[in-house]
Amino acid sequence: MKKLSDLRFVIGIFFTIIGLLLIAWCVAGPGGRAMDSEINWRAGFGFFVFGGLMVFLSFRNSISEK
Amino acid sequence: MKLASIDYTIIAVYFLFVVTIGYVLKKKIKTGNDFLMSNRNIPLWITSLAFISANLGAQEVLGMAANGAKYGFYTVHFYWMGAALAMIFLGVFMMPFYYGSKARSVPEYLAMRFDEKTRGFNAMTFAVMTVFSSGISLYALAMLLNIILGWDFNVSVLLAAGIVLIYTFLGGLTSAVYNEVLQFFLIVLGIAPLVYLGMEKAGGWQGIIHNVDDAKLHVWKGMAHAATNPMGVDAFSLVFGLGFVLAFGYWCTDFLVVQRAMISKNLNAAQRTPIIASVPKIFMPLIVILPGIILLALQKQFPGFALPVNANGQTDYNMAMPVLLSKLYPNGILGVGITALIASFMSGMAGNVTAFNTVFTFDIYQSYIRKHASEKHYLYVGKTTTIIGILISIATAYIARSFNSIMDLLQLVFSFVNAPLFATFFLGMFWKRTTSNGAFYGLLSGTAAAALAHGLTTAEGKGGWITNLHTFYSGTSQAFNIAGIAFIVCFIVTVMVSRFTEPKPESSLVGLVYSLTPKQKDKSRIWYKNPLILGIGVLIITIVLNIIFY
Repeated sequence: MKKLSDLRFVIGIFFTIIGLLLIAWCVAGPGGRAMDSEINWRAGFGFFVFGGLMVFLSFRNSISEK
Repeated sequence: MKLASIDYTIIAVYFLFVVTIGYVLKKKIKTGNDFLMSNRNIPLWITSLAFISANLGAQEVLGMAANGAKYGFYTVHFYWMGAALAMIFLGVFMMPFYYGSKARSVPEYLAMRFDEKTRGFNAMTFAVMTVFSSGISLYALAMLLNIILGWDFNVSVLLAAGIVLIYTFLGGLTSAVYNEVLQFFLIVLGIAPLVYLGMEKAGGWQGIIHNVDDAKLHVWKGMAHAATNPMGVDAFSLVFGLGFVLAFGYWCTDFLVVQRAMISKNLNAAQRTPIIASVPKIFMPLIVILPGIILLALQKQFPGFALPVNANGQTDYNMAMPVLLSKLYPNGILGVGITALIASFMSGMAGNVTAFNTVFTFDIYQSYIRKHASEKHYLYVGKTTTIIGILISIATAYIARSFNSIMDLLQLVFSFVNAPLFATFFLGMFWKRTTSNGAFYGLLSGTAAAALAHGLTTAEGKGGWITNLHTFYSGTSQAFNIAGIAFIVCFIVTVMVSRFTEPKPESSLVGLVYSLTPKQKDKSRIWYKNPLILGIGVLIITIVLNIIFY
């Protein structure tokens, strides 16, 4: 619960979820439209990486504070 | 535009997160100071991003894309000429007085430097302005959702207002600031793929150059005369009206943005907040202006990118961003783009509501109604004011819906009030002889002069409600010139009245006036912690960008 008041963690989790949702839509969404999926793939992957980076920074900050 | 389940899921996840942030931060709120001032304990990176995010509302995201389509690259003057210089000035010169004086708000600084009547005037006008701005944001959001998604106006108003109420009521300013940072990333990352897709479809930079009128691809070319550039503004009006008066008036004196720097952990962080914020700010045109220019290139090459017309039969440039979203984004990323738009509206609304509750509680309630109550009492007042602010915003949204001209009128009045305020601050901070009466009557005269100038001039069919003595090439030019006139009148009247009235004793102005405040001696400080060096760095980047895009 304490981690939830760390903004980096919250932003990280948010973008990780959005990234995963976009990737999941590409995999399991209706149609499998290649052109449409490409931007969702790229954006989803980008959001996922950005979210992971923010979570990493949040944990690194906690360790350095300790 | 038709949303799919993935788009609704993304919007729902965003709503869940903003409400959760408010709920989690609720436990940290124990006093009025925690609720209204975040106990001055917010890290630098958060205050910096919140500083620009408080301004990254609907007007910025939709309005600047619209200006990009209407005026082309000339729109970047709002960033490279206006915002950047004003933010540096705020950080280097003005923040030491705001933060060092321990004032909790901009009106409170006015009370310390001048007197209660100047504070009262500023607090009342600011409170009215913010709460009505919040309502206009709400109205615009509901209209947008109604037009592009077919959502019911009432549901949109109540849903957006309800969510903003929950997170600002629970977590106060800290919650609003935290959400602003989340909204910042969402807006930037949600719109960046649109720029990428648009550029790709338009044929890259060469495609833009070949398909957009050359007159819209410059920043300074044709500025010698208002008739020779799409903005309809001459260089003097631009530099003085926008670059000096309007930009400095907004970025240096509007409590909505200044508040984000005032809640920093220390003076150095408060000074660096606007300067660090100015770095992403000068690159923000890539996200908010470039889409408008991309749209122009796409209109030349493909059918279906035409902008709709509004009720007056004119091209509705405000639809530039929604048109691009609907044409370029497939479901999935479309949900992110729509969420980014919703976030921009909610960010603007929450910023206004939190500034309103702080100014009302500290500068109106504590000053004029109940002076020495407990911290818990002011916490209660702050929370109640938040609810009242949201309710007034909802009422304003409905009034604006019934009487569309009220929006224009309100925004006009805001500009009348904001423009002369910088003259009052400028003289107050840098001329110790400025008196309380000088400041008060200068402010009143400047505001009246702005209204008079609007009544005597016209542009694009607006103004001239007394008689028409002059017609400007564009509404933008009219706004810049009126701001300049308001500043000059406020400046002259303040100086004249100050000459004939008694100034405050110098001993009471230490920490409030430049010449009477001991200068900071911290030259050994590492460069990235030195506001002046950072400011010079940003200034150089801005000059280089102006030269490149001349």
